[in-house]
Amino acid sequence: MPAKTVKLLITTLVLITALGGLLWSTMAEGAQYYMHVDEVMAEPEAWYGKKLQVHGYVVEGSRFRKPESLDYVFQVENNGEVINAAYTGIVPDTFQDGSEVVISGELDPHGGFTVAPNGVMAKCPSKYEAKPSLGSDLAASN
Amino acid sequence: MASLGYFTLLAAFVVCSYAAAVCVAGARRRAPRLVESGIGAFYLVMALMLLATAVITHAFITGDYSIRYVDMVSDSAQPLFYKITAYWGGLDGSIMFWVTLLSIFGTCAVYTNRERHRELIPYVVAVISVVQMFFLFVMIVHKNPFATYLTQTPIDGRGLNPLLQNFYMAIHPPSLYIGFVGMTVPFAFAMAALITGHVDDSWLRAVRRWTMMAWLFLSLGLTLGMIWAYEELGWGGYWGWDPVENAALLPWFTATAFLHSVMVQERRSMLRVWNMTLVILTFFLTIFGTFMTRSGIVQSVHAFGQDTALAVMFTVFMVMLLVFSFGLVIYRLPLLRARNELESWVSREAAFLVNNWVLLFSAVFVLFATMFPTLSEAVTGARLTVGPPFFTKWMMPIGLILLTLTGIGPLLAWRRSSSSNLVYQFTWPVSLALATGAGLYALGFRVWVSGVCFALCGFVVGTIGQEFIRGAVVRRTATDTDLFTALVGLVSRSRRRYGGMIVHVGIVLMFLGFAGSGYQLDSQVLLRPGDTHEIGHYSIQYDRLSTNTDAQKQMITAHMTVFEDGVNVGGLTPARWYFFKHESEPTTEVGIRHTVSEDLYIVLAGYEVGDQAGSFQITVNPLVNWIWFGFAVLALGTGLALLPESAFAYAAATVPAGTATASTALLAAALTLSSPTAAAAQPLGLQGAQQEVNIAASPLEIDLRRSLVCMCGSPGCGKKILAECVCAEAAATREELKGLVAEGLTRDEVLRFYVDKHGSQEALAMPLDEGFNRLAWLFPYLLAATAAVALGGALVRWTRHGREPQLTTGNAQADAEFQARLDDELRNLD
Repeated sequence: MPAKTVKLLITTLVLITALGGLLWSTMAEGAQYYMHVDEVMAEPEAWYGKKLQVHGYVVEGSRFRKPESLDYVFQVENNGEVINAAYTGIVPDTFQDGSEVVISGELDPHGGFTVAPNGVMAKCPSKYEAKPSLGSDLAASN
Repeated sequence: MASLGYFTLLAAFVVCSYAAAVCVAGARRRAPRLVESGIGAFYLVMALMLLATAVITHAFITGDYSIRYVDMVSDSAQPLFYKITAYWGGLDGSIMFWVTLLSIFGTCAVYTNRERHRELIPYVVAVISVVQMFFLFVMIVHKNPFATYLTQTPIDGRGLNPLLQNFYMAIHPPSLYIGFVGMTVPFAFAMAALITGHVDDSWLRAVRRWTMMAWLFLSLGLTLGMIWAYEELGWGGYWGWDPVENAALLPWFTATAFLHSVMVQERRSMLRVWNMTLVILTFFLTIFGTFMTRSGIVQSVHAFGQDTALAVMFTVFMVMLLVFSFGLVIYRLPLLRARNELESWVSREAAFLVNNWVLLFSAVFVLFATMFPTLSEAVTGARLTVGPPFFTKWMMPIGLILLTLTGIGPLLAWRRSSSSNLVYQFTWPVSLALATGAGLYALGFRVWVSGVCFALCGFVVGTIGQEFIRGAVVRRTATDTDLFTALVGLVSRSRRRYGGMIVHVGIVLMFLGFAGSGYQLDSQVLLRPGDTHEIGHYSIQYDRLSTNTDAQKQMITAHMTVFEDGVNVGGLTPARWYFFKHESEPTTEVGIRHTVSEDLYIVLAGYEVGDQAGSFQITVNPLVNWIWFGFAVLALGTGLALLPESAFAYAAATVPAGTATASTALLAAALTLSSPTAAAAQPLGLQGAQQEVNIAASPLEIDLRRSLVCMCGSPGCGKKILAECVCAEAAATREELKGLVAEGLTRDEVLRFYVDKHGSQEALAMPLDEGFNRLAWLFPYLLAATAAVALGGALVRWTRHGREPQLTTGNAQADAEFQARLDDELRNLD
């Protein structure tokens, strides 16, 4: 009986270590930091080249689209700090002046934020309480 | 009416607590009369919940907007169907719906098992009652669906969120809830077994079928959710690893694990603690899922309301649940010792064990990754998030391992497989897998994960086919019939085994669909009228943009022509709808061309009214329809496995079996219908020219447009109400209607005119309130009447039993003895 317990323990331990290690190593490339604009811009150098999700509000009148294309530039603001963002692709309907957005991508040393494909997520202005079921994540998924 | 509903909830809470207390007392004092009374009270809860449901349904149908919940999720313009389904369209109502379903399920479970598992029943009643009490408590103190406005009553409701006004979304929550609620029954039996110490395998037999049925509904709910996301949300996929989706997936993993490991316990009396744990975990995860998505603990981009009070209630309940249930397991540990040991790793029980580990790991992984942002914030202060790619990266290999085990498990023998046995069993399936892989490689398929998945699908299909063919051949020789009859006989003789195999076929088909996503093509483009875009072997031409308005919404529609390999295969009309009450949340109406091999999926993402330019997301999704088809096969298999031996149980199980058949037929019909033409695939079938601006002049006209349906009979229109339908005939009818109203006809006269014109009431959206049609209007009242009858019946029963206690106990004694003997004999037969 003890021998069996020992075997079982060792097996469990090995499995847990292996899976935990794998989880840890993949987590490093899969994870993104979730910050507010002011938190990032307080110390921008620290975030260059890291994968970020930045939370803020679209600055009124800052959204421009290059004609005949899907290239957008816009500014995102939170607590007085502003980030300039560039994005190519389709934006959600809720992406409007003043709307609350989360953009994912990377900050480059020139202070611009390059938004990853499908990286613009705008919060629904809905008056509604929690959606009853499966999420309505338009952009986050793909 | 609102106060009647609220008092019903209060009464249900009181009766629930009575049922729980009296049942426990009765069981401890061995007083059958107390237990009988408790069971009666338990049935009464169902009656009360049906009454509450009737009250709220009545409020929805009559449009009683003084009730806040009704005002929030319903309005007068909504079709009757969505008015009724709005019942579970918001948080408060969905909790009440949950309790109602739980009371119905609990009553069925107690009623069918009250004789056979006499010693367990009091505690089963007590456990289910306590769960009901928790949800009733939440409603009464915090989320009362019957809360009314204190001041002014709104004239019209705010309307159900347009995204939820979708057929799949209307039926997705009920099936998911049935799945969740169904998991409470096994939990209650497990607890009862632990409390009484009757931890032999008899409780398992009581719950096996319930778990299977709940599992089927859970799978159905998940699939419907995927279809909804695919058809309505318009991002090109069906699963986004969103916290809300994950919450429903977690109990599915543990329930699947339980359905497999339960076989090991039945056969070999092993894994008894493990099975107990899985049942508890499954139930816990259903509660935890609700907690996670409703309380705002996991932040998500789309607004989940932060609700601290609710979070606290759920946390207390969950902690109590875990302490109580695992405490009981530890207390009964000596009784739960396994009677056998694993003899070899090359055995079926070992395969099941590995399958269980993998499934449990999946559950833990998904839970961990979903909670990761919250955890990382709590531990490090910085909020780290993980996206869908992270989930995919992990779940892909896990899925492939599970698929492999699906094939290996049934091939191994119980206890130990000999090496000659292995060769005999594995030769053909492995060859089939290699042939599939090589064939695909030769054909030029190069996505390796999908390639491996296809090969594994070949392997599993090989194993299943081999089982069926070998079994049928043996049976043909034994019974001397033709092969097909032998096959049918084989399946009907051992339904659970072959039903399970068919479920596996369904899983394989779903995996085919998942693997197809490896070959997905995706592009985002800006097109002007006349432009074409090439994707895969399709060439898509953008013709023009049109604008339409009806009573409920404004519709912007893009008209596209699709060429497949240069051949015109019809048009697609992706659109955006702006519901007037929800202008800031337009809904995406995706243009989908379904075929057996792939879907062409076009979303109108944005547009310029000025120069008619539109931006589109165009996706080609290979094999995606096989997921839905695979689910139909899975449902068929589960239905087959559910078909029971005894006549009564047969009647109980025809529901899932019937659903399975119906859904298969429906899916098959949908697939055949939609493959040749795109017209049927388009939910609305917008046809013809339509820059028409025919605005209703009077309230009467608006009302009439809602009261009549389009009669053109094309599959696209499908009897939409006149206000919504956009085909040419509907436009003509609207013109005609304008004329009739201008002539000064009253509402009834106009309706008569159309009844006479079509020779029946088919043209009416709602049946006239007369004759047989009254039935439709009577529905809530009938429900109330049923509730009243059930209530009265319970009361009568309850009072009557007092008079014949001696007789009952005497019989009970004899019955119990007889039942125990019968159980023993049946067990030996197994």
